[in-house]
Amino acid sequence: MIAALSEVALALAAALAFSSLLLLALGYDAASSLLTMFSYGFGNPEYLAAVAAPLVLSALAFLIPFKAGMFNIGGEGQAYLGALLFLYASQGLGALGIAAGALAGALLGGLVGALRAFLGVNEVIASIMINWTLFYVTLFSVSKYLTHPEYPHRSIDVGFSLGAPYSLLLAALAALAAYALLYRTLLGYEIRVVGSSPRAAAYAGIDARRAAVISMAIGGLFGGLAGTLKVMYVGHIDATMSALFGVGFLGIGVALIGRANPLGSVASALLLAGMIIGGHWMELRLGTPPELTDVIVGTTVLVLSAPYALKLLLKGGGLGGG
Amino acid sequence: MAPLVFMKEIRKVYPEGTVALRGASFELLEGEVHALLGENGAGKTTLMKILYGELRPTSGEIYFRGERVSFRSPQEAMRRGIAMVHQSFALVPTFTVLENLYLAISSVRKVSQGEVRSRAAELGKELGIEVPLNARVEQLPAGMRQRAEILKALLLEAKVIILDEPTSLLTPFEAEALIALIRRLRAKGVSFVYVTHKLREVKEVADRVTVLRKGLNVGTLQARETSEAEMAKLMVGAAVERAKRRPPREVGEVVLEVEGLVARDEMGVERLRGVSFSVRAGEIVGIAGVQGSGQRELAEAIAGLRRPERGSIRVRGVEIAGKPPREARRLGVLYVPELREEGLALEMNIVENSILARQRGHARGPLVDWGSAEERARGLVERFKVVFGSLWDRAAALSGGNQQRLMVGRELSSRGALLIAHEPTQGLDVTSAEMVREEILRLRDEGMAVLLISSDLDEVLELSDRVIVLFEGRSVGELRGEEASIEKVGRLMGGAA
Ligand SMILES: Nc1ncnc2c1ncn2[C@@H]1O[C@H](COP(=O)(O)OP(=O)(O)O)[C@@H](O)[C@H]1O
Ligand SMILES: [Mg+2]
Repeated sequence: MIAALSEVALALAAALAFSSLLLLALGYDAASSLLTMFSYGFGNPEYLAAVAAPLVLSALAFLIPFKAGMFNIGGEGQAYLGALLFLYASQGLGALGIAAGALAGALLGGLVGALRAFLGVNEVIASIMINWTLFYVTLFSVSKYLTHPEYPHRSIDVGFSLGAPYSLLLAALAALAAYALLYRTLLGYEIRVVGSSPRAAAYAGIDARRAAVISMAIGGLFGGLAGTLKVMYVGHIDATMSALFGVGFLGIGVALIGRANPLGSVASALLLAGMIIGGHWMELRLGTPPELTDVIVGTTVLVLSAPYALKLLLKGGGLGGG
Repeated sequence: MAPLVFMKEIRKVYPEGTVALRGASFELLEGEVHALLGENGAGKTTLMKILYGELRPTSGEIYFRGERVSFRSPQEAMRRGIAMVHQSFALVPTFTVLENLYLAISSVRKVSQGEVRSRAAELGKELGIEVPLNARVEQLPAGMRQRAEILKALLLEAKVIILDEPTSLLTPFEAEALIALIRRLRAKGVSFVYVTHKLREVKEVADRVTVLRKGLNVGTLQARETSEAEMAKLMVGAAVERAKRRPPREVGEVVLEVEGLVARDEMGVERLRGVSFSVRAGEIVGIAGVQGSGQRELAEAIAGLRRPERGSIRVRGVEIAGKPPREARRLGVLYVPELREEGLALEMNIVENSILARQRGHARGPLVDWGSAEERARGLVERFKVVFGSLWDRAAALSGGNQQRLMVGRELSSRGALLIAHEPTQGLDVTSAEMVREEILRLRDEGMAVLLISSDLDEVLELSDRVIVLFEGRSVGELRGEEASIEKVGRLMGGAA
């Protein structure tokens, strides 16, 4: 635990050092830029909660299948679908729309899991295709069926909203539930055995296909919820998808920074959310280009998750591994 | 003359805090075969990984030809002529032998694949090391892989070759060939460190032997002048006694019935070609045979991990051929697999591994009852003397012998009707192996049916009430325990009628 924390601290320092150099090289005042990023980023708890909550969930979307030995990069598509269905269902159903968003994600995840389990379709490739398909399906739906009558560049408003604090509470509860699922239930145990060694799973009489489908469905459920919370806070989907885009992908980084631990993901989601918000302030205050924020956040994700990701790679894919 | 290698007062504390070496010294002379003997967990592998530059010592000094060295990587050690063949080999399974050789050598110096090929062929012929250079490593038997590793060391012009438990995966024939090869290479001036926990091998191959106990060297002896008893005493600190075979009390009903079993391996080769036999409650049936005679396929088919082509497997009268492993478990089949990475989820902790394959028995509704799991783990590690740091350490952090004790212990301490024990004492030191054999006998006496599959012929003969000899996937002989002699069984194993 202490080793893990100090590793994170070290990586964070490295990321900041790199960012400073980058800022200096581009002619910005590095100290005040980063100061802006971190002070303003964490200055507004409500906004922080709103940005962090979907990230927690998209991290869980990646993490649960990951524990079963799969790489769910479909969190992105699951988030689109969840957002879209919530937007639609919340019109009539209000809060129940949340369930619609989550369920849609779960079905999508389960489908990809089943493709992998029963037809041997690689979940990464399937997810990439589905992500893009759903990107355009969402865009199309927003601009064709759910368009706002007055503002044609965006969808109608959501029919229900939790508000930021409750969103984060929901996300934190989801993380707790994910933790309990993985480490307290028989299903979680079986999922982890499958992920750590398919051979040992077979030996133990665990049905790896069932674990694949279920873990992907649960991941999808969280992915759908991630999109739901995002659109809930923004209030609508705009025709550039700018708010939704990247929520799923960023979740992978959040999960890895949190060392594939559901509770760790809450902490890392808050950290990244703060940096993203702070980055916007940096743009406003110091006129840095938005790409620079992306680079700084991206570098941080990379540096922070690299030690853990590397360890996993070396362990799993190393010599003699099968 | 300075020794070729001198390791002085090496201490090694692993990051988790395990003290593996507490000031061990070791000396290797030019041109000798030096056995490094010790129980599991004594620190043999750790000491040699330090010499090989794979691990750094916490403290201590290493001298090579009298000169102080400190290798930061195996590449550095290899450049000085030190090579190591690991317990589990380090070749890339999907590469060919040649590609592996090239991979290793090109990491140390510039060389073309053609050069490697011709040099390998030349050396192989000169020293009688037959390895098919174009075969993919995963298709080769253990003995071949090992020869490929030795060839790799020689291509790197190794002066010192460290062999870590080299016979643990070999058939008796392969082991003999290895010892002959060591002798030939020694005559050419190569020095060997021969890491083992098998007393008999020391007398067979070594010039000198250093005994390691709990991270300390407790004696260096001339192999010719010492006795197995003396070495065993140094190794464990007390004398050990071989288990006496005792006849079964009473044999009960048939528990396992195998009929006309035919099964293929992963490569599609037919490994079992119509095997039939039965095992009754309260008896141990031993399977003897050279490695690859269908033992693995037999064990896996009964455990439900391999779908047989034809034939039937009945456990307590219920047909389970081709059924999932859950079915066998439900009928009371306990299974010690040949491979630890199958019987253990190495990335998971000791408690989690203690309930593997019986997780449903440790559930309360949908939840795992971690309290009872922990209790089980505690009982297990205590009874089977698993040495560990914390129960929440990954099984991967245990030494091989401790992993084996954990896995075997888990199966042997469960209730069941049939035990399939495949290489149950593999990688275990004398004392633990004895304990495991004792436990197997105890289970038999309590009425368990036992199918014992082992490449240790002594073990099969010592424990079995009946011995079945497999040769090329067929049963070529069935002997009663008392009539099964090494000579008889050995002849049958070799395919003699
Ligand atoms: N990678 C590791 N991390 C932590 N402890 C280890 C590791 N490898 C071995 N150990 C511990 O160090 C001790 C010596 O192990 P090892 O050198 O493998 O013994 P041997 O080869 O004599 O069986 C054991 O207690 C073992 O559990
Ligand atoms: Mg060892």
